[in-house]
Amino acid sequence: MHGIKRTRITPQAAEAKRLKEQGKIEAYLALEQDVLSRKRSKDYTTESLEQTTKLLDLNPEFYTIWNFRRNILLSLFPSLSPEEVVFYLKSDLKLTTSYLLVHPKVYWIWNHRIWCLKSVPTNPDGTKQWKEEFWKGELKLVEKMLDADSRNFHAWDYRRYVLSSLPTQKPLSDELKYTKSKIESNFSNFSAWHCRTKTLLSIWEKEKTSEDKIRKTKDEEFDLVTQALWTDPADQSGWLYHRWLIGSEPPIEVLNREIKNIKDLHEAEPDSKWCMNALAHYTLLSAKYSITSEGDQQKLKEEAKGYYQRLEQVDLDRKERYRDMGKFTSK
Amino acid sequence: MATAGISESAASSSSYLDIPLHIKYIQNLDKRQDLAYHLTSHLRLNGIYWGLTASHIMGQPSALDKEGVIEYVLSCWDGESGTFGPHPGHDGHILATLSGIQIMLMQDAIDRINVESITQFLLERINDDGSVSGDSWGEIDTRFTYICLSSLNLLGKLNQIPLEKKEKIIEHISKCRNLDGGFGRVPGAESHSGQIWVCTAALSILDRQDLIEVPLLASWLSERQLPNGGLNGRPEKLEDVCYSWWCLASISILGKLNWINKDKLINFILGAQDLEDGGIADRPGDWVDVFHTIFGVAGLSLLGYPGLQDIDPVYCMPASLIDKLDIRKPYATLERMTSYP
Repeated sequence: MHGIKRTRITPQAAEAKRLKEQGKIEAYLALEQDVLSRKRSKDYTTESLEQTTKLLDLNPEFYTIWNFRRNILLSLFPSLSPEEVVFYLKSDLKLTTSYLLVHPKVYWIWNHRIWCLKSVPTNPDGTKQWKEEFWKGELKLVEKMLDADSRNFHAWDYRRYVLSSLPTQKPLSDELKYTKSKIESNFSNFSAWHCRTKTLLSIWEKEKTSEDKIRKTKDEEFDLVTQALWTDPADQSGWLYHRWLIGSEPPIEVLNREIKNIKDLHEAEPDSKWCMNALAHYTLLSAKYSITSEGDQQKLKEEAKGYYQRLEQVDLDRKERYRDMGKFTSK
Repeated sequence: MATAGISESAASSSSYLDIPLHIKYIQNLDKRQDLAYHLTSHLRLNGIYWGLTASHIMGQPSALDKEGVIEYVLSCWDGESGTFGPHPGHDGHILATLSGIQIMLMQDAIDRINVESITQFLLERINDDGSVSGDSWGEIDTRFTYICLSSLNLLGKLNQIPLEKKEKIIEHISKCRNLDGGFGRVPGAESHSGQIWVCTAALSILDRQDLIEVPLLASWLSERQLPNGGLNGRPEKLEDVCYSWWCLASISILGKLNWINKDKLINFILGAQDLEDGGIADRPGDWVDVFHTIFGVAGLSLLGYPGLQDIDPVYCMPASLIDKLDIRKPYATLERMTSYP
């Protein structure tokens, strides 16, 4: 039970509640009994299908019933016309939509939906019109789900799945636009930042983007994330993205530019632990470059150590981590 | 903030873990057969595993009727899939399989289950690309990867996975790794503490901890602790007692339990107890359930809370049992305190 406030009730009130529930429990158990016995006897009929709907209405987490439902449909489909199959699948999508609006985090509902989509037949004329139509509708649904809860990981995973399954692929740049709109409406939406990293990586891989072009894109991304960092330096989403952009071997000019930018922010926010964490990590990174003289390397390590020492004081809950990290700096 | 106020007052009013009350709560779980009880029968076997493990960790391994539990597990067998379902009449699934194995091991009754059939079921769940499905319908999730490996190792059958499949599994887990050092459900999915635990533990079981970027991931995990002491599962989300397991067990496997504030987390978990009827909730003031009860107790055990038995962070089972099976992997817990505070 997540997030439901505990209330004290008297034994009398509890008894009254139990009695009131009694009828519901009996009806539920009778229905469950009926459906499970149909399942045992492999009663794959439209009557059984209707009974599964009634049971799933009461309990959409009952995965065994979803399995039974699919077995019924699989058994009915061979004797149906493609139009009829499409009709059944459409009504199951409608059913799962109504469940998802109430239970957006139930795996089994999402699973059933995916099964329906995978089962859409090719049109009798050989075109993929039905498939196109079904998959397109999914993007609309998932956008609605993400508008309701922009961090729902089921919905984000489903979105990636839908995009990769569309019969006619959408350009990846569309996804950059989408994540940007999500980020701009809420810089704290780490799910959107995360999705952006995956989209950019896919684009670079697919288009075999040159180093120069990647660097140019990253510069634009640095601009975007800098806005987020300055808006709320205490929000870790932007910092995680920034660190991803930096990576393990950034061009030294980029690294120095970013260190300078963060130092500016740190000046405005002297207690920001995230500024100091980033500065410590990036400073150590810059000490690794061979063009850095040995004396400078030592200075940079000392600087990083200084940040960790300061962090031990401003972020007490994690002081042992900073102590450990401070020790690494001398290595 | 209202929630912070509640947690502070609740934490100060409960400075110790009320073991007898929680044991009673677990023993009574089957007695309150309200509608919610019947609506959650698909989690029944998991529920017994949660309750039984919590009893073990609280030092009362015989809290539940031994033969009754064994009989129930056996009644969950689904002959068609060749493994356990979560309740009689339900379909077999990998989620129920692990719980069934864990319960039978704790009840010292592993010789009463069909190990060969379960092994077969588990091996058949491993796909060519190294992902693992939950059942024959094919849903994949890194949770299932972990469950498959953990189950096989508990049964002493890990070596039945062909070498090239093992490599594929490792490759698949690596594909689920993200910029923050964490792991997601499937390749491309966002890091989440629950998925991080299963992937970290899975790599441990495969002796491939070298694939984890320890400072990066352990730092991320330590940032899950919020000012009220509780841990969340992802950046900018609410705290929840169950992450006292997912995050904490992960960070314990990485050997960095000292990277969070132990006292604050202990107080947060203690504050989520129901001190009238027993059990632990997701956060102070909410309704309790057995899921949060085990993960609260397990978290306290890792943190060295006095009077508790050791728990193994890789398998979420009593450490003594894992040691007896000789399948222990590296991890570090905090020293058991003699009193608290």
